[in-house]
Amino acid sequence: MGAAPASRDVTSYGMGLAAPLALFFLLFFVAPLLQLLWLSLHNDTAGLHWGLGQYLHFLTDPFSLGVLGSTLLLGAEVTAVCLVLGFPIAWLYQRVGPKLQTIIILIVLLPLLTSVVVRTFAWIVILGRQGIINATLQSLGVIDTPLKLLYTQFGVVIALAQVQMPLMTLPLITALGRIDPNFDDASCSLGAGSWRTFFRIVLPLSLPGVIAGCTLTYAAAITAFITQSLIGGGQMLFMPMYLYQQASTLQNWPFASAISIIFLLAVLAVVSVFTTLGRMSRGYGGA
Amino acid sequence: MMMNRRSLLTTALTLGAMKAFPGLSYAQARPLVFATFTGSWEEAHKAVLVPAFRKANADAAIVLDPMLSVDQIAKVNAAKANPPIDVMLHDPGPALLAIGQDLVEPYPVEKSTYYKDLIAEAQEPMGPAPFFQVVGLTYNPEAVKTPPTSWADLWKPEFKGRVGITNLNSTLGTGWLVEIAKMRGGSEANVDPGFKALEELKPNLAAVAANPGALATLFQQGQIDISPGNFNAIQILKARGVPVEFVAPKEGAIAFKTTIHIVKNSPNRELAFKLIEAALTPEVQTTLMNPPYLIVPTNSKVTMGGEIARVLARDTAELKKKFVFQDWKKINEQRSAWIERFNREIKI
Repeated sequence: MGAAPASRDVTSYGMGLAAPLALFFLLFFVAPLLQLLWLSLHNDTAGLHWGLGQYLHFLTDPFSLGVLGSTLLLGAEVTAVCLVLGFPIAWLYQRVGPKLQTIIILIVLLPLLTSVVVRTFAWIVILGRQGIINATLQSLGVIDTPLKLLYTQFGVVIALAQVQMPLMTLPLITALGRIDPNFDDASCSLGAGSWRTFFRIVLPLSLPGVIAGCTLTYAAAITAFITQSLIGGGQMLFMPMYLYQQASTLQNWPFASAISIIFLLAVLAVVSVFTTLGRMSRGYGGA
Repeated sequence: MMMNRRSLLTTALTLGAMKAFPGLSYAQARPLVFATFTGSWEEAHKAVLVPAFRKANADAAIVLDPMLSVDQIAKVNAAKANPPIDVMLHDPGPALLAIGQDLVEPYPVEKSTYYKDLIAEAQEPMGPAPFFQVVGLTYNPEAVKTPPTSWADLWKPEFKGRVGITNLNSTLGTGWLVEIAKMRGGSEANVDPGFKALEELKPNLAAVAANPGALATLFQQGQIDISPGNFNAIQILKARGVPVEFVAPKEGAIAFKTTIHIVKNSPNRELAFKLIEAALTPEVQTTLMNPPYLIVPTNSKVTMGGEIARVLARDTAELKKKFVFQDWKKINEQRSAWIERFNREIKI
């Protein structure tokens, strides 16, 4: 057993401890990803002829581009709903006593403790023709015939927003907690109203949390295969279902690979926009 | 023996890994793996087929690994030389895919005791059909007072916004579209009339489900009152108290041969054959025909009874008359184009 050298620099860290995870990552994520890329560069399903045919097919096909567009839009809608609904909760969390804080954190975390499938089925019961919303509206006499909520874009957005809400609220709670409450008081004593304080002080300082929350929610919303297909149904096609159809039902792996690579790049583009905004916000917050 | 921290850690990790992935150490001699379908098929096979097989084969080890047909193909394809599955179960479309990709062995017909007793449609040399799946009309008897009799009833104005269908990802969805096309003068090679009929069905469509299983949820939630549906799926809903009924339309109920295959390069070829033999016996097929399973038998020696005799057919002769078999070789040729067309055209 060799002793550690006495002159070891205590401020530097060896990469050795990260090696197992790095190796795992390399083996089970990077390698399959490269295989995917390799497969997507073939024109035939057997993977014998090299070419960019799959990419050309996708990028010149208005229908496929439409699916990509509607998926990215869906993510934006879900993220917006989560942000608008999640921010007040996070804000409230920082301003209530410890008992209420526990209750809020429990409510925020509760969805994470049940499976996505269960949560999604609950939404089927809520949104259905004889579901809670329609039954309530009918008994109040607001509507005569049940509204169509299930299998609509509206239904998918609402269900996804609830399912992914913790991913937005948790980073926001952390970010808001880091803001020194004295800033609020200083702003007020200098004559700013509460809205002005919110927009000039709280919001800019919480931007890192907003960006982190948006990135997580967005990525989770657009890839949520189960919720999308159970609430959206068979005729609302988003990228995950499109991918599954090509890979599984049609066994067209090269096209499915090309779809995944394009989807991955599109998501990376959106995420890098978020990160750029985050970098800019740091400058803004520090100013 | 020197025992340092590193070797202790290595040993601990190895032991841990062997505990976590028991397959690691026993990769060579594995039990027979039967990839059945998920849900009611798995229950039926676990309760009836597996005990029958084990009884006849000195308690041979067998593992059920339920998954969709297409996933079975993907798994075997990924390891052709050393497949993780010995026996595959397939709907007609995927069966032809598997045969086309050279993933299955021909069934040793001359060795088989029961193959010759199967009705002609079930005798497939690349893998016989141990049972049929039947698709007909499903409706909610509380909302639909006059039972439907024909596929054409789905277009009736009284069902405005009450009809459910599935997309073409499933065998049910594709088979149904072909049947609709046939009703309007089309065929397996020409489904244009089917797509035109779908266009006219749009005012009545309440939902296009992503898979046949989702149709069940839609019935339970009162989202739809009538749809094409799988006989067995309906029996499960009925048993749970959901108000649904099944009728075979007068054009004939669509019958899918569900075939069972020995995987090429399987290390358990002999046991795989024995399992399939067990699935073809009149005893197993009779038990599976009775409640709660109600699986349509293919062995002509089985006497039809119960719900199947009441709703579908009393004997093999009537079964042949009332069932419609489709040419899936033709269907597979154009299926991807149809799926693409369905994606584009069916928006409600």
